[in-house]
Amino acid sequence: MSGMLGSVSAELLLLRKRVGVWVLLGIWTLLAITFSYIFPYITYVTGSEFGPDEQSTLAEMLPAQVIDTTIAGFPFFGGALTLILGVLAIGSDYGWGTPKTLYTQGPSRGRVFTAKLLALGLALVLFVLGAFAVNVAGTAFIAWQESGAADWPSIVEFAQAFGAGWLVLAVWTLLGVLLATLTRGTALAIGIGVLYTLVLEGLLSAFATQIESLEPLAKGVLRTNTYSLVRPLGSILEGSTDNGPGSFAGPYVGTAQAFLVLAAYVAGFIVIATVVLRRRDVV
Amino acid sequence: MVSLERSPIMPATRATIVTAQTRTPTTEQRENHYVIETDGLSKRYGEGIIAVDKLALRVKRGEVYGFLGPNGAGKTTTLRMLLGLIRPTSGTALVLGRPPGDADGLRRLGAMVETPAFYPYLSGRDNLKVLARHAGVDEKRIEPALAQVDLSKRGDDRFGTYSLGMKQRLGVAATLLKDPDLLILDEPTNGLDPAGMAEMRDLIRGLGRGDRTVLLSSHLMTEVEQICDRAGVISGGRLVAEGTVAELRGRDHLRLRAEPLDAAYRLVAGLQGVDSVEVAGDALRIATDLAHAARINRTLVEAEIAVSELTREQASLESIFLGLTNHTNGSHARHQIGGTSHVGHAR
Repeated sequence: MSGMLGSVSAELLLLRKRVGVWVLLGIWTLLAITFSYIFPYITYVTGSEFGPDEQSTLAEMLPAQVIDTTIAGFPFFGGALTLILGVLAIGSDYGWGTPKTLYTQGPSRGRVFTAKLLALGLALVLFVLGAFAVNVAGTAFIAWQESGAADWPSIVEFAQAFGAGWLVLAVWTLLGVLLATLTRGTALAIGIGVLYTLVLEGLLSAFATQIESLEPLAKGVLRTNTYSLVRPLGSILEGSTDNGPGSFAGPYVGTAQAFLVLAAYVAGFIVIATVVLRRRDVV
Repeated sequence: MVSLERSPIMPATRATIVTAQTRTPTTEQRENHYVIETDGLSKRYGEGIIAVDKLALRVKRGEVYGFLGPNGAGKTTTLRMLLGLIRPTSGTALVLGRPPGDADGLRRLGAMVETPAFYPYLSGRDNLKVLARHAGVDEKRIEPALAQVDLSKRGDDRFGTYSLGMKQRLGVAATLLKDPDLLILDEPTNGLDPAGMAEMRDLIRGLGRGDRTVLLSSHLMTEVEQICDRAGVISGGRLVAEGTVAELRGRDHLRLRAEPLDAAYRLVAGLQGVDSVEVAGDALRIATDLAHAARINRTLVEAEIAVSELTREQASLESIFLGLTNHTNGSHARHQIGGTSHVGHAR
């Protein structure tokens, strides 16, 4: 086990010293606070367009709704960014030729890959905590500024949200890992991943609401299941039918089904990537 | 393959081979004797490209073995197979008594294949830290390894800012982290300036002292000549010659310029101790022991043949190499070593 711990420690060093990882974390937390609190609060303060809904807008920015507000960004923005994280963690190695250097040091390919996944898993904890931390700060400020009720969710609710958020980010990260493994690089993997995330799944979900035969397919894709997993945690999602690029109008599946499907995706992505890595020549 | 070990002109060596063929060594004996041993090792890409063809390589414990060949001969592919980076299409290989890529074997070897590959955003020191942690090596070994390649002062600079020579030196430092029994170095002086090449060769020579075995892949004859105890020449994926540098170079020759040349030819060819005589331009090339030079000279003078030059001619390894690799085609290799023509097969 000490060998694996050493490998994880090595992979954490690689992630910690890489500027790109911190840039992604910075963008992610900036997006979280900007679209969850800064823009809505500016709109609220300037009073434009809201009229009778002004109070509900404020309510969404108060501590009672912090989990709803935060988790809403995970399936889409968080997914896209952590997909890039997964691609960078694996794909860059091919560009630099470092796999041959690592594999000739002694650890098996399986151990190096497992260590990379564990390190990424730990990095995702930081991504989840970062999003919640900035949003907790944002909602606390607004509650103080507006003298709003500081009814915080319970620790259990936070823990559930952390877990769901982590799983959502993990499955997208692993999609990035798999794409980078298959394409042995970053550019094509990011291109395919972003196209799939932003365009294909969105179109499929949109058409599934109109073409009944597409619904079973749409219920199996990542977007549907990630949104379905966090849906019970965020009532805000119910009304996000047509509200920007991250909006999702369904179809939804049950929480348990979503969890199982996402777990199957995680396992499937890992198995495929591992098999490819172990069998393929390192050139 | 043409091997002087098997040549009929070297009966003593031949006897050693016969003995080896009649007694199958145990695994332990083999590991003790051969650090690298391959049989019929082949790598094909698709239907048409044969990168390595039935290669039989034997690297003995404690020697510095040169793996010579022109670009594209199959050297790097062979090394990758030995390290478990790529799978052979057929054949077998043992490295330190283990299959290629085996964790126990890898723990005892250090390797640098082609251009050193490290993380450009990390310092040289941090790159070694990453490797040490993966390999389970004490990080205290990093400083001595950096010092050994004279990189201590630049250890905190990013790898991406290193010159090619520094990158090569960091690559060698990485191979030393584990104090390995076997070093596999692929063209370690590539891209270095003359001073850097000299430094690297000194370093490799030093690393090869004692019990450590070094497999040095190179396309530079002079490099192998300066560093290696023994060398194998690979061409078209096949081992076409193997032996000590002296053996590969062949026996010494005398170069004779005399007048009349045809009379000199007839006279020298009939002398005892002369293996062969050939005309090389306006001179004769005589295969014989150097000790016969004085007698040859006296005989010619007594026959009233005017001798204007009688000098020792030592074939450079480079000329041997060019001869071996240029004349190799298909499954057979025909070339001249020491004035004797041989036809050989890769073992």
